[in-house]
Amino acid sequence: MSQIETFYDVMRRQGITRRSFMKYCALTAAALGLSPAFVPRIAHAMETKPRTPVIWVHGLECTCCSESFIRSAHPLAKDVVLSMISLDYDDTLMAAAGHAAEAAMRDTIERYKGNYILAVEGNPPLNEDGMFCISGGKPFVEKLRYAARDAKAIISWGACASYGCVQAAKPNPTRATPVHQVITDKPIIKVPGCPPIAEVMTGVITYMLTFDRLPTLDRQGRPAMFYSQRIHDKCYRRPHFDAGQFVEAWDDENARKGYCLYKMGCKGPTTYNACSTVRWNDGVSFPIQSGHGCIGCSEDGFWDQGSFYDRVTDLTQFGVEANADKVGLAAAGVVGAGVAAHAAISALKAAQKKTQSSKEEA
Amino acid sequence: MVVQTPNGFELDTSGRRIVVDPVTRIEGHMRCEVNVDDAGVIRNAVSTGTMWRGLEVILKGRDPRDAWAFTERICGVCTGTHALTSVRAVEDALGITIPDNANSIRNMMQLNLQIHDHIVHFYHLHALDWVNPINALRADPKATSELQQAVSPSHPMSSPGYFRDVQNRLKQFVESGQLGLFKNGYWDNPAYLLPPEADLMATTHYLEALDLQKEVVKVHTIFGGKNPHPNWLVGGVPCPINVDGVGAVGAINMERLNLVSSIIDRCIEFNRNVYLPDVKAIGGFYRNWLHGGGLSSQACLAYGDIPENANDFSPENLHMPRGAIIDGDLSTVHDVDLRDPEQIQEFVDHSWYTYGAPGRGLHPWDGVTEPQYELGPNAKGSRTNIEEIDEAAKYSWIKAPRWKGHAMEVGPLARYVVGYAKGHEDIKHQLDGFLRDMDLPLDAVFSTLGRTAARALESEYCGRLQKHFFDKLMTNIINGDSSTANIEKWDPSSWPDQTIGVGASEAPRGALGHWIRIKDGRIENYQCVVPTTWNGSPRDSAGNIGAFEAALMNTPMARPDEPVEILRTLHSFDPCLACSTH
Amino acid sequence: MSDADLDTALKGAHADPEDLASAARQTSVYVYEAPVRIWHWINAAAILVLCVTGYLIGAPPPSMQIAEATHQFVFGFIRFAHFAAGWILAIGFLGRIYWAIFGNHHARQLFILPLWKRDFWREIWFEVKWYLFLEKEPKKYVGHNPLAQLAMFGFITLGVSFMIVTGLALYSEGLGVDSTLYALFGWVFTLLGPNPHVVHTLHHLGMWWIVIFMIVHIYVAIREDIMSRQSIVSTMISGHRTFKDDRPD
Ligand code: HEM
Ligand code: HEM
Ligand code: NFV
Ligand code: SF4
Ligand code: SF4
Ligand code: F3S
Ligand SMILES: [Mg+2]
Repeated sequence: MSQIETFYDVMRRQGITRRSFMKYCALTAAALGLSPAFVPRIAHAMETKPRTPVIWVHGLECTCCSESFIRSAHPLAKDVVLSMISLDYDDTLMAAAGHAAEAAMRDTIERYKGNYILAVEGNPPLNEDGMFCISGGKPFVEKLRYAARDAKAIISWGACASYGCVQAAKPNPTRATPVHQVITDKPIIKVPGCPPIAEVMTGVITYMLTFDRLPTLDRQGRPAMFYSQRIHDKCYRRPHFDAGQFVEAWDDENARKGYCLYKMGCKGPTTYNACSTVRWNDGVSFPIQSGHGCIGCSEDGFWDQGSFYDRVTDLTQFGVEANADKVGLAAAGVVGAGVAAHAAISALKAAQKKTQSSKEEA
Repeated sequence: MVVQTPNGFELDTSGRRIVVDPVTRIEGHMRCEVNVDDAGVIRNAVSTGTMWRGLEVILKGRDPRDAWAFTERICGVCTGTHALTSVRAVEDALGITIPDNANSIRNMMQLNLQIHDHIVHFYHLHALDWVNPINALRADPKATSELQQAVSPSHPMSSPGYFRDVQNRLKQFVESGQLGLFKNGYWDNPAYLLPPEADLMATTHYLEALDLQKEVVKVHTIFGGKNPHPNWLVGGVPCPINVDGVGAVGAINMERLNLVSSIIDRCIEFNRNVYLPDVKAIGGFYRNWLHGGGLSSQACLAYGDIPENANDFSPENLHMPRGAIIDGDLSTVHDVDLRDPEQIQEFVDHSWYTYGAPGRGLHPWDGVTEPQYELGPNAKGSRTNIEEIDEAAKYSWIKAPRWKGHAMEVGPLARYVVGYAKGHEDIKHQLDGFLRDMDLPLDAVFSTLGRTAARALESEYCGRLQKHFFDKLMTNIINGDSSTANIEKWDPSSWPDQTIGVGASEAPRGALGHWIRIKDGRIENYQCVVPTTWNGSPRDSAGNIGAFEAALMNTPMARPDEPVEILRTLHSFDPCLACSTH
Repeated sequence: MSDADLDTALKGAHADPEDLASAARQTSVYVYEAPVRIWHWINAAAILVLCVTGYLIGAPPPSMQIAEATHQFVFGFIRFAHFAAGWILAIGFLGRIYWAIFGNHHARQLFILPLWKRDFWREIWFEVKWYLFLEKEPKKYVGHNPLAQLAMFGFITLGVSFMIVTGLALYSEGLGVDSTLYALFGWVFTLLGPNPHVVHTLHHLGMWWIVIFMIVHIYVAIREDIMSRQSIVSTMISGHRTFKDDRPD
């Protein structure tokens, strides 16, 4: 590991002054929501920690996690790649191809055994012996296992790596499988979202480099610092929700006033993510701010919760197309009709009995 | 063995076989195999799409109004273009018209994607085929500054100090021994021709473009809430406009519009001051490397896009041209009808799918997606360890779409060829000017270089169009029209029991179509034929090779074991494999 | 009453000899002690509120513009009513469990199904036939009849427990994932979710399960009040079961 320089070394050698280095540390602290008291600690960490090699592999995916990553505004993607980590393998961005690319990966693994981070975008399909995703002529799942074996930790980028995402939506024809179901002996940090927010991605990496530890994870393995509150909990339209003021139809008066999108199927109440606070693309907006409900993209199986526009979503389990209210109402209707019929027959029988007994009496 | 393909290529498999897998700096998973003769010239080319997710299968039975979100996830690089195409297909099926403003906003988003995608492709995926960042260390910053000012006098970041800073940063990066993304590159390959100053200038712009691209996408963020994967809506766009009423702060208001406008200006500026001059400057050093034309000189296809008036997809109303050119005859531009069962068909004889019977071509409305993975008898290796593919059998997860039986090239170059042939004023003007500047004949555009140049020209054109639609939107708002969605047929109870529709667009990589069948309010069948499906297609039943394969043919390689030339030509298409197979 | 008669009566009627003797003597037995009765009616009221407000949470009423959002709390109130009733239901249920342990043996019927007893099933079969008009005359019961008991268990003991557990889990999300309640109920999401939307949907479906019970329960209570051989509705008010005839079974 001795040939790896510290983050600070690199910054210094790149002509960055101590002062701007400290300023950078302060900004990092702020981005992570830490008090100024943490700044010296961050600085110390960056002065003494080596630059960590990262291997970034791609399975079944759409690559928009990478696209999101390069949008990071603080820190800038170029600074992450040039100064913070050493992105030694990433098929989407690397110069080398084919054998030379594979050699780059082997070399990094051998040189930095146990010290590199494996970032996974996408997921391995397990059907067809894994050949729904081939890399180097072999199933991607083999590459994943190989790269995972000596990794220090794994970051599962996006809904794909974390949960399976769209290719795992029913009927999941390729048996796309999330990383943690294939790699079970490594710490895995899930950073879901479709894609995750750029600054959340770089925030997670910076946290790991700075504190030299894995972030605290929630019940599902997501960093608590970004995934412990629902969109709904911090949504600026929340007062309209509590008031009972909803968008009733697209582009109606209420939509123009920015009422709550609950009735348009907003999944903010069931989605843990940082969108309503960190927002997207350097804080410009987030789905709800631009008029569309949250579709729940950082939650497991969000593709299979019925239409994105239904509040009470459809249930596929019942074969017919119906939501909980339709199913319930139908069932209650059947029972109610049954009860009514039963009451009628009961009354009839009772009347019969009465006439009978009155006849007997007579 | 030598085989003559119906589309005019001579495939000779006798030479050495070279395998490139993974092909990197593309979206997704791809493999390429070529045979080179003793002189190192490519005599047979095989391109294989190596991933499949099954979106067309997954979409069955779903709510058509949700389809945009699923199809958008086909690709995060051309994010949004599938969504747009999907809402168009659904609107076509249901007879939904969208308001003018929605048309302007959608156009801006689509154009914005074009620009973003083209810039990122050129600088971050393609540039390293031409630019050697290691060589940039030898540059003289002062001379670089002079070069910069010569190629682009109005670019403000051009001082010697600026280039020295970048060079220092690069130097220290390289000297650290951790080359990161540049690790194992082919930096001493003689195919790299730039002088150090041009390398430094281009490397600097690699970083500038990286900073810029995150600004470009904010148009998506404003109208769609995020990027990648902004939100769309059947019947319009989800963002309401409210410039002066109660609650305007939460809608598209003056502040939002100003932001859009400033981003559009930045795009235009970057295209004019950086992107186009770079392409000309770098292209100038490679002006003799005119390989890679492939199908572009004989078979180009474009569906057209960017309707001036909402809901009118007739060619006259489209800012991007529609048409097909075949047999290299630029004097005739054929009409393209996406509904005609005889025009667009997909074949799977060499793809890992089955239609039940061999030799069939299916129009997408009747399309079938049933995977069948199997290797041919002459493949080397095993089922799960392919050493050499057998292209005589099934060999790719990409289907083979054909237009009236022809393998076609799609993409910026195809659009420019079709537009040029049609006499599209803007396109003609741009292309003629470019060729004049470069001192090249028209034929030179049928090349890897031409493909790369067309992309840059198009980015510039898109910038201007984006501004046009911004102005159009503003005029409409000023005139009191702020409608953004038509909800008349939002409710499925207003739909017919059965209906079909098609949506088309020009994605960054070329002609994109989605075909949908709706039955009882649900998707009965959904088929996508995607730009990279066209370009990356394997052979068809008749033996025609696709655009990638054709473009690689007859290219000399400086060092056959270092696939710089293969990457160059493949990258010039901006391959997107997630798109191609979906 | 012969010993044999007594024996059958004991098996079926969920009555001990004392009940039976009392039934024969006084035609009135003290069955539902005050806590059970109070619980019953509070529970009924809470569930009614929960169903109405719960339905509205799933499908809110038309938007209202009374004041600026911050000063208007229409939907908030609906949710508040739901949560208040939810807590009453939950705490009441705990109280009911307490009373099942410390109250009379009728109080335990709701929680313990004698599934292992053949007579239990035989009686259920008898009750089914009674409801299918295949039996001329119903049996006498001091506590619930076995079919009622089965229904109570399925709909209330299991059903309401499920609603309480899922409801509290959903509620704990509002308190935050660092709350004590989430620590206690977060497992619900791991078990049923993990997407919280699934828990919403199941909780929502549960409502209809309860609604179905309500329909049947109220119908049967009134019907039996008229057609059975013992008092029904008044029993849940006074606690006393009276019988309309003196035949033992
Ligand atoms: C018989 C009992 C209950 C019924 C019928 C009932 C019904 C419902 C229904 C229909 C919903 C709407 C679900 C949706 O579509 O999202 C709901 C939501 C909810 N219920 Fe209940 N519920 C019951 C008990 C409880 C209890 C005991 C609690 C615990 C306090 C509770 C807490 C909640 C919460 C927190 C929500 C979500 C509110 C929101 O998302 O705004 N419920 N309930
Ligand atoms: C939401 C509404 C209601 C619920 C959830 C409910 C629930 C229950 C439960 C759980 C029991 C069993 C008591 C125990 O063993 O501890 C019970 C018994 C009873 N309920 Fe209700 N109840 C409801 C409404 C009503 C109404 C409206 C009536 C009157 C018309 C009623 C009449 C009775 C009677 C008479 C019994 C005693 C049955 C027997 O004698 O075996 N209930 N109810
Ligand atoms: N091929 C392709 Fe796409 C594009 N452009 C989509 O339609 O990239 Ni992912
Ligand atoms: S998680 Fe979503 S955004 Fe990321 S690769 Fe998968 S589909 Fe794309
Ligand atoms: S818009 Fe969505 S997240 Fe925001 S308050 Fe309404 S329901 Fe909650
Ligand atoms: S859809 Fe995704 S981007 Fe955020 S607002 Fe919802 S989690
Ligand atoms: Mg297809």
